[in-house]
Amino acid sequence: MSAQAFTLMAARSPLLFAGLMTDERQTIALGLRRRDPDLLDQLIEQYQQRLYRYLLFLTGNPALAEDFFQETWVRILERGDQYNAKSKFESWLFAIARNLVIDASRRKKFASLEALADPETQQPFEPPDLHATSALQMLLARENQQAVQVSLLKIPVYYREVLLLRFHEELGLEEIAAVLATPISTVKSRLYRGLAALKSALQEGAA
Amino acid sequence: MNETLHQRAQRLLAESLVEGIAASDQSWLAQHLRECADCAREAAATQDALHALRSVPVSVPRDLVARTQMRVRLRAQENGESSRGSLLLWIITGASWLLGVFSAPLVWRGFAWFGGHFGVPRLALEMGFVLWWTVPALLAAVAVLYQRGFAQGFASQRLPRETKSPR
Repeated sequence: MSAQAFTLMAARSPLLFAGLMTDERQTIALGLRRRDPDLLDQLIEQYQQRLYRYLLFLTGNPALAEDFFQETWVRILERGDQYNAKSKFESWLFAIARNLVIDASRRKKFASLEALADPETQQPFEPPDLHATSALQMLLARENQQAVQVSLLKIPVYYREVLLLRFHEELGLEEIAAVLATPISTVKSRLYRGLAALKSALQEGAA
Repeated sequence: MNETLHQRAQRLLAESLVEGIAASDQSWLAQHLRECADCAREAAATQDALHALRSVPVSVPRDLVARTQMRVRLRAQENGESSRGSLLLWIITGASWLLGVFSAPLVWRGFAWFGGHFGVPRLALEMGFVLWWTVPALLAAVAVLYQRGFAQGFASQRLPRETKSPR
């Protein structure tokens, strides 16, 4: 079924659409429980862009994002039986990836990621590791992108993360709260602050 | 227009993006944006910012998917072999236990004959009988624990190199 037909069907018959989504989740959950390698191959292929982008936004470093990408799928293989199909697969995927990044940052003390572990602290924001930032900047420069996009990296990582999940991945507030394991009120406040930070970063970049 | 109206417009603008607003607020906001150039500019700036966020180009490294698929398949294979090994171990253990239970009277008869023939005290015979059953099991347990510890140590040494992506 094409994406267009799928969208059309979702608009016309939401109940049927919800049923299909649940069926898809059940299929994924069953396959993960069986550790079906073909299903995993398919999921890796399907979510490559979204997972890699999320990890790149979190770490600000392509090499780290690659490592965490691989680790996330190994973790999915090993803990696949924990996916209960009640939530979207991508929410669970992002939550696993996020936990891996936080665990690694606690172990290795990545300066840029420590804020993720406890983002609501009153401590002033520490900018991401300069090397990591420049690595991502180089990546963006290679893609011949406008300078305005590089200024996105100036936003604190925990705001960047919720902005990405909300406005790029289009997850709902509850889903973001599940990924972040935080209350919805925290998600909302981060989104409001993140929007403000995004605007001011872009204005500074344009100036 | 006073400042309060602009503040309300800013608040509704943010709320409409984050959690959604009521239809009446939506129409009020649309009306206000038509009338107020500053707020309309602010709304456009917000939309531009979100557009910039959405259009950050991220290209997945060319062979990352293939490398990940291979690594996941290898791990699945390792896990499969390990669980097959565990199953075999359980089967052997169960068979050995059954054999032990059914052969115990014969073994005790053998011990009794040995004790009678060489004049070994009954206490020594009983201790020997207990050791006959426990020593092999203890040795097997030590071997398994040693093997597991060795495997974990090996894995933790390998992990940093494994996670490093070839560039």
